[in-house]
Amino acid sequence: MHNALMQKLVQALIDGDQATAVAQTHQLQAAGLAREAIITDGIEAAMTQLDARCTVEQFNLLEIMLAGRAVMSAMKVLYPGDAAMFPSQGTIILASLEGDVHDLGKNILKMVLTAKGYRVVDCGKDCPVDRLIATARQEAPLAVGISGLITTVIPQVRQVRTKMHALGLTQIKVMAGGAALKQATVQSLQVDFIGETAFDCLHYVETLPGGAL
Amino acid sequence: MPVVTIKLDEGERHLPFEPGVSLRELLDTTDIRVRTACRGIGACGLCRVQIEAGDAGEPTPGEYLHLDDAELAKGFRLACQIMPTSDLQVTILARSPTSAWRNLPLANRRFEYLSTFPRRNVTPKMLNPYGVAIDLGTTHISLALHTLIGHQRLAGRYGLNPQIAVGSDVITRLAAASEDAEQARYLRDLVVNGIAEALFDLGLREGLNLEQIIRLTLVGNTAMIALLSGRNYTQLLHPRYWMQAIDCLPEDPQIWIDPWGLHPEAEIVIIPPLAGFVGSDVLAGVLAMNLTDTSEPALLIDFGTNSEMALWDGTTLWVTSAAGGPAFEGSGLRCGMPAEPGAIYRVTLNDGVFDPLVIADTAPRGICGSGLVDLIANLISADLLTSVGRFAPQVPNEGVFIAHGERNIVLTRKDVDLFQRAKAAIGTGCQVLLREAGLSAQDLGRICLGGAFGRFLDVRNAQAIGLLPNINPDRVELYGNTALLGCEDLLRSPVACEHLNDLRTQTTMINLGQCDDFDELFLENLFLQPS
Repeated sequence: MHNALMQKLVQALIDGDQATAVAQTHQLQAAGLAREAIITDGIEAAMTQLDARCTVEQFNLLEIMLAGRAVMSAMKVLYPGDAAMFPSQGTIILASLEGDVHDLGKNILKMVLTAKGYRVVDCGKDCPVDRLIATARQEAPLAVGISGLITTVIPQVRQVRTKMHALGLTQIKVMAGGAALKQATVQSLQVDFIGETAFDCLHYVETLPGGAL
Repeated sequence: MPVVTIKLDEGERHLPFEPGVSLRELLDTTDIRVRTACRGIGACGLCRVQIEAGDAGEPTPGEYLHLDDAELAKGFRLACQIMPTSDLQVTILARSPTSAWRNLPLANRRFEYLSTFPRRNVTPKMLNPYGVAIDLGTTHISLALHTLIGHQRLAGRYGLNPQIAVGSDVITRLAAASEDAEQARYLRDLVVNGIAEALFDLGLREGLNLEQIIRLTLVGNTAMIALLSGRNYTQLLHPRYWMQAIDCLPEDPQIWIDPWGLHPEAEIVIIPPLAGFVGSDVLAGVLAMNLTDTSEPALLIDFGTNSEMALWDGTTLWVTSAAGGPAFEGSGLRCGMPAEPGAIYRVTLNDGVFDPLVIADTAPRGICGSGLVDLIANLISADLLTSVGRFAPQVPNEGVFIAHGERNIVLTRKDVDLFQRAKAAIGTGCQVLLREAGLSAQDLGRICLGGAFGRFLDVRNAQAIGLLPNINPDRVELYGNTALLGCEDLLRSPVACEHLNDLRTQTTMINLGQCDDFDELFLENLFLQPS
């Protein structure tokens, strides 16, 4: 019976059906399932399927946003309030840099990472480089992720790793993604990784020491 | 609708037309150009064609002057003198080489009864002084040449902004200019030369003396004006300046009198933008549409890569800009193209088969914005596409097949995605403006549309997929380049100039990026369903 309920949750998440996803999560909890089981067999299973589809066919932004919204709502049911997050796989800091007020891409990555058990510290959009680095200093993340939709942020992206290294934060990786950054090379942006999709960034994070794999 | 059939070496072309335009004017809307050196008044005698079948009417006195009896007997005529009323079959005897500059679409004639501004008094420096209005856009440059004595547009041209060679979007060009002063000069020269070429084409083909141009008025988006003047374009890269006035007028615009070949004492007037993301093009569009003349709420949407929206609520003009991507202009799509000859501009679905209409009736080369709207609306109503943007299972992986052409024309999943993003940007912008003004869509007395769609957009289809608010379609008005129309008003009328300055004080700018619920609104607007 759990299996059927779980299957319905997975399907609702993939379809981006927020209401059903929330209802199913409640039902699974009422049926006595542990949060960790719902995450592993429900949310993570859905993410794996979305990941596979993302690479096979062009994914449409609305579908990803709907799935993201459903996943985040299900997570909220499991962990009401931010404080009591489950044991984290590690912390990731995300930001859209100063000058960039677009953060759809960043929010999708946030969803993917959260669903996979990472603690995401979101510096929001239009974030100055120095604030991002101050946050990195405080949170000791595995990586800092920068989403950029407009090419004007490129000079700022180039500063991030250098500035962190100058502060001795050499173990923190810098990854970039988004329309303006994904065609660039890691050398030209002076970052450690450039992801074509949110899932690419997830896979990268998973390879980091202290990451999930 | 009657049809003119043009016989060319490369095959026949069928041009449907509304009677009332000359054969030359009809040809000028296509890429088939007949040789000319006057304004279509029968003076130059170069635009020779041969009538193969159909009634072209009696020859005019001008034609008797240029054609002898033997030629007339063979059916030789002048294209500018023939006003077709029924089907004609024509061979072009004197074909002109192709040009990067095309005549403005005939639809832009509308403005002749539209303009309500009294014209400027000119102290003639000559018998017949001219003025030129220019809309300097990111993708296109459009020009209209007027006589300043009468009340008439004599000719017009539009063509690609040559800066596209450096980058198709504004940011890339601004970044290039900011990194390297040499690049900045290069970008400026590209535009100055582009305008010079367009003016030269006007002068040559229409037989107009450019030295009679005593006034030139130019509007544009802020970035284009800053790049033209070479001043403060770097500020535009930073959002802090988007809502602020940018000091970007050229120090001395008169330096362009020479390269543009104008009258030595000509006055060049660059209309200043309002702020970083509100150019003088938007203000000119609002002016031309008389958007703020009554207390009735009215909305102007200017479709482009960057679409601008302006909402008048009776006392305040709310303006915003949304970067939705170039899908409406046909860029970025697998088979997309601008609304030019060869573009599918309208699509109907009959018994499961698409019936596309192609501009200038050539073999289809691609699909433009209005065709895309029709296509997507038809796919939804035929249950081949969901409102989320997912194709039905029976649609093959490579996408929906629309027509055979030089290559097969298809619509892919990615195309739908790009379209949804562009549509959502517009929808979100309109929604936020209405909310700020405390209005609902039903309160709108008018929606004026300018830009990419021109006159081809099917309003009901646009409403069915939520591109336009669901109001009575009769209240939706379609125009081409509203910025150029406004610039023509500014060229000819000091009252229009005063009115424009009033608009500046009545405007409140909205930055969509700073809306807290932008993501939610954007998500709602991604759905392909009525809003």
